[in-house]
Amino acid sequence: MPLWLREYSWRQTDAAVYLSLPLRGVRATPANIFCTDQYLKVSVPPFLFEAVLYAPIDDTNSTAKIGDGIIFFTLYKKEMAMWDSLMIENANKEKLQCLRENAVLKAHEKAKEEAEAKKVTKQEHKKYTLEATMKLEAAERKRIEDLKEQERQKVTRELELWKNQQTDTERQKRLQREEELHQEVEQLKERKNEKVNKFRIPNEGTSKTRVKPTKGCPGSDSMFSENLKEEQLPAPRSAGTIKINFTSRVFPTALRESRVAEEEEWLRKQAEARRTINADLSELEDLKEEEKNPDWLKDKGNKMFATGNYLAAVNAYNLAVRLNNKLPVLYLNRAACHLKLRNLHKAIEDSSKALELLTPPVPDNENARVKAYVRRGTAFCQLELYAEGLQDYEAALKIDPKNKIIEKDAEKIRHIIQGTLQDS
Amino acid sequence: KIEKAKPIKCGTFGATSLQQRYLATGDFGGNLNIWNLEAPEIPVYSVKAHKEIINCIDGVGGLGIGEGAPEIVTGSRDGTVKVWDPRQKDTPVANMEPVQGESKRDCWTVAFGNAYNQEERVVCAGYDNGDIKLFDLKTMSLRWETNIKNGVCSVEFDRKDVNMNKLVATSLEGKFHVFDMRTQHPTKGFASVSEKAHKSTMWQVRHLPQNRDIFMTSGGAGSLHLWKYEYPAQRSKKDSEGAEMGVAGSVSLLQNVTLSTQPISSLDWSPDKKGLCVCGAFDQTVRVLIVTKLNKV
Repeated sequence: MPLWLREYSWRQTDAAVYLSLPLRGVRATPANIFCTDQYLKVSVPPFLFEAVLYAPIDDTNSTAKIGDGIIFFTLYKKEMAMWDSLMIENANKEKLQCLRENAVLKAHEKAKEEAEAKKVTKQEHKKYTLEATMKLEAAERKRIEDLKEQERQKVTRELELWKNQQTDTERQKRLQREEELHQEVEQLKERKNEKVNKFRIPNEGTSKTRVKPTKGCPGSDSMFSENLKEEQLPAPRSAGTIKINFTSRVFPTALRESRVAEEEEWLRKQAEARRTINADLSELEDLKEEEKNPDWLKDKGNKMFATGNYLAAVNAYNLAVRLNNKLPVLYLNRAACHLKLRNLHKAIEDSSKALELLTPPVPDNENARVKAYVRRGTAFCQLELYAEGLQDYEAALKIDPKNKIIEKDAEKIRHIIQGTLQDS
Repeated sequence: KIEKAKPIKCGTFGATSLQQRYLATGDFGGNLNIWNLEAPEIPVYSVKAHKEIINCIDGVGGLGIGEGAPEIVTGSRDGTVKVWDPRQKDTPVANMEPVQGESKRDCWTVAFGNAYNQEERVVCAGYDNGDIKLFDLKTMSLRWETNIKNGVCSVEFDRKDVNMNKLVATSLEGKFHVFDMRTQHPTKGFASVSEKAHKSTMWQVRHLPQNRDIFMTSGGAGSLHLWKYEYPAQRSKKDSEGAEMGVAGSVSLLQNVTLSTQPISSLDWSPDKKGLCVCGAFDQTVRVLIVTKLNKV
């Protein structure tokens, strides 16, 4: 059961009622106060104060001031009249109940209305601010446009002035030049006349005086400029050549940073494609990754050739050929090994295969073809098939006529052939 | 209107005197011709300069700019850069060509510089593989080279007729580099600062004749950007071994404008009126522009 608070004091004017309610030591908060237009309740557990007011009040404008242990209400009356008492007397329980419920309902509705109103005002505020900012921005833009327009006009005016100025000075200069030209011509005419006169009178021993030739005047400009003292220009530079190297680039297209990644990928793919064509041979599974790469094998073979280990080199080349039999360089190098090993027939075979693969004959594979011919030629000669050998050497010379070694060797072979012919 | 047999790629007035005003052009067939525009039927000078299209041309020694002999440099798709003297027929006075066996790269741009007295002159060339090479014509040697990782569309010195000060190189992918050419380090070369703009190929760069720290770049998106270079507090410093090394400054964008949807492939400033410039674009228009307030920069 709550404790009713009955100690209160109140006074009134025509327009308002002032009610002060002591709270006996407890603190109140706004949540504890409930007020509608004819009902006031303060509930601070365990205390309770309730008043069904004598007449309706304007509850939106009325205030409650919460002080230390006391609440001070300022209630504005709806109608200006003096109240007999603060609360309605003779209120029976049912009526009170009804009133209470009504009050609560009313309060709810009011709350809802207030919320709605708030929302609406908020929307309007937002719209207003938006429009205001838009207007400001538009104004700013216009200001800038105006400035630009002004500037543009000013500058066009200046440009016109400047243009006229230029044409004026141009005209003046031209007039001046023509004037001076005229004077020059006059002077020349006078001089010519003088000279002609001098010529007529003494006609012995007078050196031919050359009249300064008057050039035709196609344009006054060129004449005048030639009369000007010729500036001393230095002689043309002595010719020179500078040889340059380029940062290497595989692709013929221009270099773009954004494409570099793609290009690297492509190159990698190409390199992969040149590797194992038949990589599913079972014995290849034993080999290491690099040993399946014909290029790597070729390098290995080259190294072993360089150290003199020809058999091992041949092995390397063999494996490489098994992996990729379209690379002429493998056959070429293997031929060289066979030459050293004196497997002459094999050498001839390999050189021939290399030459086959090196068709069509283009400048790119010149070097390779020369080597192939030379090796085959050597093999033939060592087999004493000198005629065929000479054929090959001459083919090599045709590709590379400036190679002295090939020439010398070819000569030697010719001598040998002639020697044998003579013998037989 | 004058029409010639082969399409013309590039031209310059750089090597003629102010009175003669001969136009030197390079065409798609690799011919270098110098025309007197008053009598354009027969060229004043003609030579089959290159085996392939002449991409770029520059002249020095004329127009009152630069000391020394008038010379024209041309760069071509055949990978060579050749310098010509209009007084010498048929052979170039300098030839920068790849060594035997080297595969050629297109030369896309050339520029003269350092022509402050009668002997000194350099030529800078930019190639499609990103190489920039600086050739010294007095010593007939390669003075410096670098690679800027993108094909070089345009190079220009800020002034042709002073001791070389700055070089701007623009490239594909919307980047340009400004090199400080006063201090060359033996290994690191010249210091540089680079910027990205336009979001597309930067076709050309041109410095303002009246102020060599202001330059304009034109882009493949039809835009023009106006830049200002600021020098650093110290233009050179010593590195750890005591060698002099250049210090690059900074570049700031002053203004930009988009004029067209097509690339603006060429532009030039007027030497007489500050701020007057002309540009040509792929939308077949030539636009004359004026840039204002350059005094206040």
